[in-house]
Amino acid sequence: MKDNSNITQELLETVERYYNDSMPIEERSSFEIKLKSDETFNSLVEDIKTLLLGIESQSLKEQLDEFHKDIPLTISKKTSPKVKVLQLIKYAVAAVIVIALGSYWLFGKPSNEKLYAKYFTPDPGLPTTMSATDNFEFYDAMVNYKHSDYDIAIKKWTLLIDKKPHNDTLTYFLGVAHLANKNENKAINFLSEATESSESVFLNEAYYYLGLAYLKANKKEDAIKYLKLTRVEKSIELLDKLK
Amino acid sequence: MGEIHKLDQQSQLIAAIKTNDTVALKALYISNYSKIESLVLSNSGTKEDAKDIYQDAFIVVWNNVKDKSFIPINETAIQGYLYTIAKNKWMDIIKSSRFKKTKSTFNEKAFINKSDDIIEEDSSNEKLKTTMCAFKNLGQPCKQLLTSFYYEKKDLREIASELKIEESTVRNKKYRCMEKLRAMVLPQKT
Repeated sequence: MKDNSNITQELLETVERYYNDSMPIEERSSFEIKLKSDETFNSLVEDIKTLLLGIESQSLKEQLDEFHKDIPLTISKKTSPKVKVLQLIKYAVAAVIVIALGSYWLFGKPSNEKLYAKYFTPDPGLPTTMSATDNFEFYDAMVNYKHSDYDIAIKKWTLLIDKKPHNDTLTYFLGVAHLANKNENKAINFLSEATESSESVFLNEAYYYLGLAYLKANKKEDAIKYLKLTRVEKSIELLDKLK
Repeated sequence: MGEIHKLDQQSQLIAAIKTNDTVALKALYISNYSKIESLVLSNSGTKEDAKDIYQDAFIVVWNNVKDKSFIPINETAIQGYLYTIAKNKWMDIIKSSRFKKTKSTFNEKAFINKSDDIIEEDSSNEKLKTTMCAFKNLGQPCKQLLTSFYYEKKDLREIASELKIEESTVRNKKYRCMEKLRAMVLPQKT
């Protein structure tokens, strides 16, 4: 970078277009010819490109620090061999307890709860890799949902539903998130609402999860009623077992 | 649900990287961090080290995808690339003499597989770092304006209506801010 004076607004905007790939073909080819033939021009353009890239990179870097705050705390720690042996013993003890409890659970627990646990897996959620800046808050919460941070997702979506009451996507995911968060009564409220719009793309899933929510609430008759309305495959098997 | 969104995720991701889509970048960032953290933690590093090299690697990947020097060939290529770059960066650090002086025990086994080495662009790096540093310290109004335009890809009209000023004013301000930034980069260059 030699001279500060020779970057004009026009040159800046030309390089912007080149950098963004938004140059018309003819302009691009003559621009590239000039780049090859004029060394001073070339280095000037390179300088501007570096400025543009630097701005973007630094902005990204600052945003990464924001992202980092939302990383769930991990438990990974360095362990020495001695600790590992101790841990093995701990796991063995834990396994025995789990088996003991499990057999109690298998034979002793009420079957509705058992069936619920067997058939409930949270909806995988919507893809968040798509370009969706217009719906930032919704997909932001979806990221939390996918990381099983249901409390955070619920909090964010609840704010949105005040703005867009009766939105079927929101009511559906709030329902599933509450259910995954072991709050079947709230789940029932939202999922019932989600089943009210017959056009909804989530209708089938909403009926299925509503059935499961009633099952968890130990209301078998209601569970059967809604499981009969869904076309989710697992419901047939589940209905069989409920009879 | 479930199946649909598997399709073509990489090209969605490329599009998201080119437009700096916050949601997608955040998802990519968060979902790939833990692997790097456990690698660094089990090789004499701290959480802070893990964060630093991961962020550096993330910016390299973002840049290389953007300028097409990396083109993904399978469904998880970008994620794999991110891991490899971060891994190599950490390897460079623990091999450096400064690191060896302070910390002596580390598990080199984790790094035996070197076949997936990736050549990193290192040349114009210095210039870029200077620019990033200058931009970091640029006055807030200019920084805000340039971020909106170049990073968030908002157009002049959008920015003008947000700031409640004329579009032509935004255009001039942007130019003056660029001159200011360039002036900050210049002295260190000569």
